[in-house]
Amino acid sequence: METEETGFAVAPRAIAVGLLLAGLAAVPTARALEPFDPLEPVNRVVFGLNELVDVMLLGPVAEAYGELPSPVRTGVRNVLDNLSAPVTFVNDLLQGETDRAGTTFARFFINSTLGLFGLFDLAGELGHPAHKEDFGQTLAVWGVGEGPFLMLPLLGPSTLRDTAGLAVDQLLIDPWTAVAGDELRAARAGSEAVDTRHRLDPVIRDVRRNSLDPYATVRSAYVQRRAAEIRNRRPATGDPRYESIFREEQ
Amino acid sequence: MRTERGSRGALARRRLVRLVAAALVVGAAGCGPAGAEPNAPAARFVDGLGQKVLAVLRDGRLDRAARLERLSRLIDEATDLALVARLVLGRYWREASEAQRRDFVALFRALILKTMAERLDEYGGETYEIVGVQPVDERDSIVSTRILRQGGTPIAVDWRVRAEGGRLLLIDIVAEGVSLVVTQRSEMAEIAGRSGIDGLLAEMRRRLDRSA
Repeated sequence: METEETGFAVAPRAIAVGLLLAGLAAVPTARALEPFDPLEPVNRVVFGLNELVDVMLLGPVAEAYGELPSPVRTGVRNVLDNLSAPVTFVNDLLQGETDRAGTTFARFFINSTLGLFGLFDLAGELGHPAHKEDFGQTLAVWGVGEGPFLMLPLLGPSTLRDTAGLAVDQLLIDPWTAVAGDELRAARAGSEAVDTRHRLDPVIRDVRRNSLDPYATVRSAYVQRRAAEIRNRRPATGDPRYESIFREEQ
Repeated sequence: MRTERGSRGALARRRLVRLVAAALVVGAAGCGPAGAEPNAPAARFVDGLGQKVLAVLRDGRLDRAARLERLSRLIDEATDLALVARLVLGRYWREASEAQRRDFVALFRALILKTMAERLDEYGGETYEIVGVQPVDERDSIVSTRILRQGGTPIAVDWRVRAEGGRLLLIDIVAEGVSLVVTQRSEMAEIAGRSGIDGLLAEMRRRLDRSA
């Protein structure tokens, strides 16, 4: 239902994205457990700038947001999750996960109507929990390697594959890109950033306090977390990169 | 792509019917997760450890120092910290001298205890449930749990347990897909690669001396 609306406007963008993806297939990828990070010096500079923005702006705003009553924050989270349902739905299908696509569609339908534009996660209450898929994960399922690690300005940790996936999600798949005006899109992106920052706050504090090298921690955690999302949260058993660590004995 | 788009409506309608039907029989949804073997030795080991930790955290008679003392004893009893430290140091373990290895294990343990001490006050009534057990090989198995928080979504935590000399020991904790061993290993490799093993040990000492 969503992709049809954006279909007519996307041809030039589709070509650009197609070229990018064709380039991705040729990209080398970390086979060992250490992340493949040829751009580390640049990435570290961007990480420092992101930290600065976080300390000056995003962190304080997220802290103020945390003062709102918890039902308000839950409502914000639910609306944002509901808005991301079309992207998840399309990527469920692209990954051949028809059952999950059906769940995503039903959740979107129920929460958008009975759940008052997504304010209440009624489908979740009924025992159909949310999940998220994006085109970065779809590319992984299709066998595209993660490519070099990238630290994106403002957006944070990513890989070449996930950055390309984000571009496809935003430009080609997400119906709201075509439907919503600039202000609405900015409001959504801002709320997403603040809410995500708020929920990550304990982790961020912990990394700043305890990590010997916060950049290395964030990089490793991001790559592992994405791998877990791509496995749809099944344990890492059988991941040769993980298992090899526990076999190296002297 | 085209066929998926064509069948999408039918698929969704079928799903919706199922969802509504499920809502009508919501009472039946509370059954235990499939595949869980709560009686497997590894699951009993993790459950036993979890119960002991919760007992310490909930015991109102214990002061902070006593609580820490008991938790650090539980860690020493239930985990193979020497092995974890070795795995975390990775290829630099092979390059390290005996003295460097000894120092590293001691500093690694001290940092874990320091982190635990700093987090002690963050306990907010969380509980857990065992979701399942998966054997990895003849020694290791992974016990999957969910940490349940009031008003928050549960956190998926996997515990890697190894059978060693007739007993079970914890060797990794994986929270939402992020492994302690893998993450620490990446940090250590980064610093050791930049400033050598002695530089890494110095950095760990600095971190240890820094007050929370």
